[in-house]
Amino acid sequence: MSLVNRSSRTRRVGLPFLIGLIALVVAVGLGFGLPAYTVFISTTVLVSMVALLGLGVVTGTAGMISLMQLTFAAVAAWVAEFLAIRTPLGTMFGSFSFIVIMLISALAAAVLGLLVGLPALRLRGVNLAVVTLGVAAAADATFQKISFPDSWTNVRMPRPFDFATDPAGDRSFFIFTAVITILICLGVYFLQNSRWGSSWKSVAFSERGTASAGTSVRWAKLTAFSVSAFIGGISGVLLVAQISKVNYITFLPISSLALYVLSIVAGAHLIDMALFGGILFVLVPEILKQFKVPLEWGNIVFAILGVQALTTNTNLGEIARTALFRRRRKRLGLGIVEKNLRPLGSGELIPIPVGTGRTLLAVTDLGVSFGAITALQGVSLEVTEGSILGLIGPNGAGKSTFVDALTGFLPQHTGAFVLDGTPLQGMLVHERAQLGLRRTYQQDRVPPTLTVGAFVDFVTVGKADSAGIDEVLEFFGCPTASTPISVVDVGTRRLIEVAANVAARPRLLVLDEPAAGLSHEEHIEFGQRLRLVPDKYGVTIIIIEHDLDLVRSVCSTITVLNFGEVLASGQQDDVLSNPRVLKAYMGETEML
Amino acid sequence: MAAGLGAGGLYAVIGVCLVLMATLTRVVNFSQVAVGVYAAFLAIRFVPLGVPQWGIVIIALIVGATVSALLGWIIATWLPEATATARSALTVAGLLFFLSVSYLQFGTRPQPLIPLVSGPLVSFGVVTITKLSVALIVLAIVLAIAAKLVLTKTPIGVQLRAISDRQTAAELLGINVKVLQVGAWGFTGAAMALAISFAGNSQAANAGVMVNLIIPGAAAALIGAFKRMDRAIVGGVALGGIQGLLTAIPAINLLRDWIPILIIVIFLLWSQRKEVWDVAR
Repeated sequence: MSLVNRSSRTRRVGLPFLIGLIALVVAVGLGFGLPAYTVFISTTVLVSMVALLGLGVVTGTAGMISLMQLTFAAVAAWVAEFLAIRTPLGTMFGSFSFIVIMLISALAAAVLGLLVGLPALRLRGVNLAVVTLGVAAAADATFQKISFPDSWTNVRMPRPFDFATDPAGDRSFFIFTAVITILICLGVYFLQNSRWGSSWKSVAFSERGTASAGTSVRWAKLTAFSVSAFIGGISGVLLVAQISKVNYITFLPISSLALYVLSIVAGAHLIDMALFGGILFVLVPEILKQFKVPLEWGNIVFAILGVQALTTNTNLGEIARTALFRRRRKRLGLGIVEKNLRPLGSGELIPIPVGTGRTLLAVTDLGVSFGAITALQGVSLEVTEGSILGLIGPNGAGKSTFVDALTGFLPQHTGAFVLDGTPLQGMLVHERAQLGLRRTYQQDRVPPTLTVGAFVDFVTVGKADSAGIDEVLEFFGCPTASTPISVVDVGTRRLIEVAANVAARPRLLVLDEPAAGLSHEEHIEFGQRLRLVPDKYGVTIIIIEHDLDLVRSVCSTITVLNFGEVLASGQQDDVLSNPRVLKAYMGETEML
Repeated sequence: MAAGLGAGGLYAVIGVCLVLMATLTRVVNFSQVAVGVYAAFLAIRFVPLGVPQWGIVIIALIVGATVSALLGWIIATWLPEATATARSALTVAGLLFFLSVSYLQFGTRPQPLIPLVSGPLVSFGVVTITKLSVALIVLAIVLAIAAKLVLTKTPIGVQLRAISDRQTAAELLGINVKVLQVGAWGFTGAAMALAISFAGNSQAANAGVMVNLIIPGAAAALIGAFKRMDRAIVGGVALGGIQGLLTAIPAINLLRDWIPILIIVIFLLWSQRKEVWDVAR
């Protein structure tokens, strides 16, 4: 579990800039202090670091396999050379032409990323690996045939601001590269702590969870992949400007493989680790060269490190951070963070909400079958706005199937859902979520890589400000916003999920067994709070629950499912005293 | 077209191996071809020692089975419950490893790997069908039928299918999951070594170029949706045929390299009509 990239919300924004400034000072010092060859090699380290940073977004943050990072670099390098050598753009903006060209070329790489990602990202991660490897090989063959523009006319790629290619120019170019690298580090840092970054971390943990939080899974993956391609493109342009003549060998697919494995080993989504990975990527071959050892040994070492990292599911960055983090928490005497559902101030019993009388959700004749098995048949019910409906029934009655169909995971269902006058037919999961239809899960779907606050912010999609988030967390007795979810126990994570979805202020919220993992006292307190939710937050609730005490304490109306059909529906007392319900729920013997 | 059949046969074999790996061990094995190439290249080191050709092939089979089983053992030992993505990522490291070892041991020059069979089988005017293409297609079909028979008719097959469906449940039933999975890895490693030995170095290439065969192979496997071996065979042969056809048109020389990936992409677009989720619920 990652304890890193703890967002944002509570951290000062100035700190990254301060670190960037220090890095710049160090870079200027190194640029003028180190021997010429070392400066040249250090530039390569920074270029590799940029490539790794881009890769880290896809592999580390979003958890996908991309095997074509150097192809993005190659495409951008090719475009940059073409623009600089063959078009007037090379001199159009004077000294700033290079920067314009760099941005255009990186955008070209990002467009390629979009084209590759569109078909590949719909399915699971392995497909992306197959496609990226295929594109890398095909592009490699193409670059062999068409070669780079610098070899057509023997004009070299110019450097920015007319830096020469002698050692003095190398020093200036090193500093230029350092500036670009620092800017990209800052960009990656703020992106990772933005809602985009949360969506990447969320999609790496659970696609279903991401979609129910109102974010399109495909959008999350595509943004990650395109950002990665853009940064990869920047690294390509920097590289071609550094060595001024490139060919396909500079960007071999095997190097992309090595880069991928290295990003796994180091944990390249962490900025310092990307720098470390860049050093490894350049230094290992450099050391091998010094000792006249064949360079292939470098890749062999990376491969073995990669096997180690993958089999233990860790990386160097996380190992280091986890150790530091644990030590700090231990020193402060902090352990696992738990929920704290204290009795509400007033102490008096809050009445069960009965709603406004207006129908919010109408379900007519819902049917779901999986092959020959009928999971739901002829289910019709209505949910009154502002009330809490209990959906109960024995195991296998079809309760969770009902939720899946309602929230869009089973588009093949028959019958109709109408939410507040809007038919849900044909809408995707994240579209329904955006419309104001949210759900929680029986399983843990809260990404441990986020903080509590970043998770709530991600789920609410901006509907709650910082104070609003703190308020709802406090209301449900959840840990504070700055707490990393990785130190929170699983029962509390489910409570955080409920709080986050309430904070999103949907019109209808479906809670799937929210009280599992709560003690009896906590059940009572949780029920107290739920009764307040419709009035306080304007949220209507369907609750699926096995614990009839909780159902009794919060629901004005109850629908009972049995073998996929509605057994009874109506006011709480009528339904719970219905003999058929008692029979289905308790079994024959209990009736005696 | 006929010229592409040989390549198509090889794609089909790779496709069948990939489908087998995906169904039996939940892995998209990126190192599949690299293992076979490494084994075949290592085996021909024994040619100067006077080892006959059948001996060379046997050495290749043993090496292929051993190194593949080793990789399988690592995955079965440390990633038994990991997702298919995590397991496949490990084979990417394997691919990097075997590719680098091949470069290191055999250099980057093309290797004198002679095809086991050569020469024309039948000729229809200008169209010649070589023995090699038929041999490779037959190999793919034999592999697929043998695998199907083992999986459906033998007790081991039942156990293998149980593992691929529900690994933990199978383990609880007392099936030795690890041995069987490592066995499957060894089998496909040997099959791949055999296929590469058969095909020889028809593309006059070094290990790097040979290893790229994984891409059309993956395209073939994808046509079988990583599930159906028969479709993977048809897909592989058709892919080779299309590429062969396009060689005749020099104007689209550049496009030829992109055919496998285009087919993969088109197939993905077609198969994604329905939304697919990471977990069933």
